Amino acid sequence: MTEEWEKCIRLKEPLVTRPFKALLGLAGFAMLLGILREVSGLGYVTGLNDGYAWGLFKNWNVTALTALGSGGYAVAVMAWIFNDRKFHPIMRTAVLTSLVGYGTGMLALGFDVGRPWNFIHILNPKTRNHHSVLLEVAVCMTAYVILALNFENMPPFLERMYKSGDPERSDRALKIFHYMQKSFPFWIALAFVLPSMHQSSLGSLMFLAGDRVHPLWQTARLPLLYLLMAYILGFACVLLVLILCTYVWRLGWDGAILGRLAVVMSWLTLWWLVIQFVDLAYRGVFEMAFTFDRYSIVFLLQTILLLIPAQALQIESVRSKPGNLLRLTLVLIIGGLLYRFTPTSIAFIPLGNYTYFPSAIEILMSVGFTALAVVIFLFAVKRFAILPASQGKIAAEAAIRPFDTL
Amino acid sequence: MDVNRRDVLKVLLGGTAVTAIAGSTAHVAKAEPDTIQPLDDAVGLLYDATKCIGCRACMPACENANGLVPDRGSSHGLYMQPEALNSQTKNLIKLHVAADGHERSFIKQQCMHCVDPACVSGCPMQALHKEPHGVVGWDPGLCIGCRYCQIACPFNIPKFEWYRVNPKIVKCELCRHIVGKTASQPACTKVCPTHAVIYGKRSDLFAEAHRRIQEKPGYYFEDRVYGETEGGGTQCLILAHVDYSKIGLPKMGPQSNASRVRRVTNVIYQGFLTPVVIYGGLVATIRDR
Repeated sequence: MTEEWEKCIRLKEPLVTRPFKALLGLAGFAMLLGILREVSGLGYVTGLNDGYAWGLFKNWNVTALTALGSGGYAVAVMAWIFNDRKFHPIMRTAVLTSLVGYGTGMLALGFDVGRPWNFIHILNPKTRNHHSVLLEVAVCMTAYVILALNFENMPPFLERMYKSGDPERSDRALKIFHYMQKSFPFWIALAFVLPSMHQSSLGSLMFLAGDRVHPLWQTARLPLLYLLMAYILGFACVLLVLILCTYVWRLGWDGAILGRLAVVMSWLTLWWLVIQFVDLAYRGVFEMAFTFDRYSIVFLLQTILLLIPAQALQIESVRSKPGNLLRLTLVLIIGGLLYRFTPTSIAFIPLGNYTYFPSAIEILMSVGFTALAVVIFLFAVKRFAILPASQGKIAAEAAIRPFDTL
Repeated sequence: MDVNRRDVLKVLLGGTAVTAIAGSTAHVAKAEPDTIQPLDDAVGLLYDATKCIGCRACMPACENANGLVPDRGSSHGLYMQPEALNSQTKNLIKLHVAADGHERSFIKQQCMHCVDPACVSGCPMQALHKEPHGVVGWDPGLCIGCRYCQIACPFNIPKFEWYRVNPKIVKCELCRHIVGKTASQPACTKVCPTHAVIYGKRSDLFAEAHRRIQEKPGYYFEDRVYGETEGGGTQCLILAHVDYSKIGLPKMGPQSNASRVRRVTNVIYQGFLTPVVIYGGLVATIRDR
């Protein structure tokens, strides 16, 4: 039953469906709440306080969800650096998940900062702090979204412009495309270096907090673990999105490529677990994992949620069944997100009596930003040639796609 | 796949780059961590908990000097009664009573003005910065309100105005807006009736603290002054007769968290050499395809 994905197609499905409306509603509501947040203080709309100064927006939408948005980065490594041509048909899906993941993460960040008007000073080298890890994260993330991700997401857009019917516009699209081809390596290399920098720096961020992060998570290897987890979750996200799209829109099941994604992901996860446990032993806090207090339980849960799918996906007969692949990927995503979420929240120990639980508004906003990511994704796959499909589906579409080299 | 001269060259180049990075990494690892020493003219406070009578005169003095609105907390509007440092309170006297009820000590909470502060290191702008004399100041014109200082500070000092649209970071700045202008010392030390908290040069305060320890051996906790080495040292020093960790002062080694992060970052980045080398290598690799 397995087919081979060869080219990208535009879904000829109606855009405004009932789920789309619901998601759009959530996203719109989040924007309204965003306005409310801007005209009141953060304290009125969130559960944040002086002990837990970072909440859902930063811990979830930025730290955790940009790891999930690392699909474009992870798959690009396979497609361009290891030069595996088989990954090219899924590149467009991967870079689109990255764009929506990062884009909405940065939107959440915009609502989270208290004095956004001072952002302008980030342009002045004299008022920046060049030693700050957070500055690096902010600059690298912005640069990645504006320069690399927008570039990588250009081809489907240009394609549409080319086929607009207006010869002048077609001409312009071709010109831009040729220029893109020439400068291609420079942008792709940037799309590798920038996320490597900010995904590892997201780990370094919490290293500065020292003893305020529980020893099961606090380590000098945080940058490495965060970076590797970005790869793992990046692959996982692309896998999940592709499986779901395949189910919903019957794109044909390319077991070969999905299987390869799963294998790479599961090996990375196993290595990640080895590195984590060696690090625990090296720092002499191995026993802490088995004290069965709050921290130990979260840690063990996270380990199990990563280990079981990683082990199971090693078995060929398991991962070749679409249902299994979907379920195991989901479990692994939960485990991975739990890891990325924990050091800034559950494992964060401020001095004094503080508790934090996100407020309803905070949760609605956070969910709304995520819904917005899905809305943009749905819009894009139904307007541009993004999702991969097998030859049969492409023949049915009978469309000419001039830029399929990308 | 054909192996050609170009590929071999690439591998060789890559190998050289990796070796160079590994070599310089080893060099950095061998070198001493880049510790920051206190300035010669660094100023600070010395708070002696055994001299403090808990009169809290320093608290309204601080409010007045800094134009803060007193937090009346749970006192039904009668007194200034904050439960913790907050956006209305830069300075707070707390009472510690041990479970047995006998061991008691006051503790004065305010910014410790670290020698190598985590907040200054983490701040993406130079909003939190070292002023002359090592005072940690905050600049409203540069702060973006990211609150990373609140995550980074081991003493949990910087506070945020959660209920304002133009929120500020609130923390003790050692009365830098008046000291040397209209006042000779911060408001808290000026009003302290027992001189439990005094202001001066860090080196002088340090000598005074050691003089007191020598005068009464065994009286102060472990015969040492808190802030001498903790987290790379602080400019505000504390003496008490109870375990420092019981009065909210975290146990910390002599290396500051800021210097730890600098070290890890240096090893990875090699002064931005690593990203540039990787970028160049990648461009060359992808170009061939």
